[in-house]
Amino acid sequence: MPSRAQARSGEKRDSVPVRPALPREFIAGHKRRRIMDAIAELTAEQGYDATKIGDIVRRAGVARKTLYDNFEGKEEVFLAAFDTAVDEAMGQIEADCAEVDGEWEERIQAGLASFLRYVAENPALARMCMIEALSATPAATERYEAAMQRFVDLVKRTVPQDEQTPETIEETLVGGVAWIVNQQIRRDEAAQAEDLLPELSDFMLAPFHGAAEAAKKRANA
Amino acid sequence: MERLPRGRHGLPREFVAQNQRERLLAALAECLEEKGYERTTVASIGKRAGVSKSDFYKQFESKDACFVAAYDDAVERIRASVKEACAERKDWGSGVLDALDALLRLFESEPAQAQLVLVEGLRAGRGVYDRYQVAIQSFVPYLRDGAPAPAGGERPPEATDEAVVGGIASLLARRVLAGEVKKMRGLLPDIAEFALTPYLGTAEARRIISA
Repeated sequence: MPSRAQARSGEKRDSVPVRPALPREFIAGHKRRRIMDAIAELTAEQGYDATKIGDIVRRAGVARKTLYDNFEGKEEVFLAAFDTAVDEAMGQIEADCAEVDGEWEERIQAGLASFLRYVAENPALARMCMIEALSATPAATERYEAAMQRFVDLVKRTVPQDEQTPETIEETLVGGVAWIVNQQIRRDEAAQAEDLLPELSDFMLAPFHGAAEAAKKRANA
Repeated sequence: MERLPRGRHGLPREFVAQNQRERLLAALAECLEEKGYERTTVASIGKRAGVSKSDFYKQFESKDACFVAAYDDAVERIRASVKEACAERKDWGSGVLDALDALLRLFESEPAQAQLVLVEGLRAGRGVYDRYQVAIQSFVPYLRDGAPAPAGGERPPEATDEAVVGGIASLLARRVLAGEVKKMRGLLPDIAEFALTPYLGTAEARRIISA
């Protein structure tokens, strides 16, 4: 039986913890993630303005202090969640594109499928990033634009270019896809986003091949 | 828009009210372009329009109401110019080209309206977003009606019509945000090819645009 002094100092403890202790960073990261998930859910449900810090900590099941240890405030939580979601989606899309050992059309389709899958699997994050971010705060609007640009650049790297192809074609294509998905989310049908794949594939391939060839490609796939 | 003369001018009351209303709508768009929605106040709108606060409230119950009216008014004017271009069309492709040209001319000559419709509509938040959506969708029929299929192919799926309109709106919004509204007409060949290619194929789209 260790003395009280020994137990306090922790030099000689023979009691076994009920659960193995998780590393501090893991817990911190986990709580951070819960906070970000909470703001995504809450903004999806009630909008950014109506979401208060109190709602976020309650939903995340963390202390208010934990939130403020990790973030300066609501806007920073929102922006962190936005960045995390975009990085995550982008990472998956790039990986799925890279896996395709074929023509550029297949890479576009794989990337589009990957994007739609992310939306379907993460409806709250998708709504937060594609709808709420537009009106949340000026900084969020800027992040939205920057994220759009990342998608534009990815398409640009993937499609064949000839001199006559309009320079802005990737911007209009990404904008068009975003618009269709945006409306899908607004109808509360984000979970069915993958249904859009055939039509959006046609749309994205058309400028490069002509619509007829795009449809043929899909039929053969 | 011109202010009316002060004092007794014998102008009918409805005329004065209508004139004030139009001045307020134009002033709101200018304020938004200058300082954004949050920092635009009823006082700043009234001051720019030369309309007193009490006259403002005779027209609109709030800044939000003024915004919505200005928004609807701007969309209506854009629609009128697109409709006119389409009414005069010889064939579908050149009609789309003319409509896009009319659209870009309008935005270029009235940058505050471009900002209002393309940027603020998306950013103003929940209530107004619905109007933005309805407005964008209302342009789809002008593209859809009479849209052909490319030679040897099928007409593209209906989502394409909406994606084309949404994609153009998105590009134009980005250019407004980048402060390039004055260079919008330079985008005509690009957006026309983007709009026509799904229906006509690349070669035919380019032929119409360069004709």
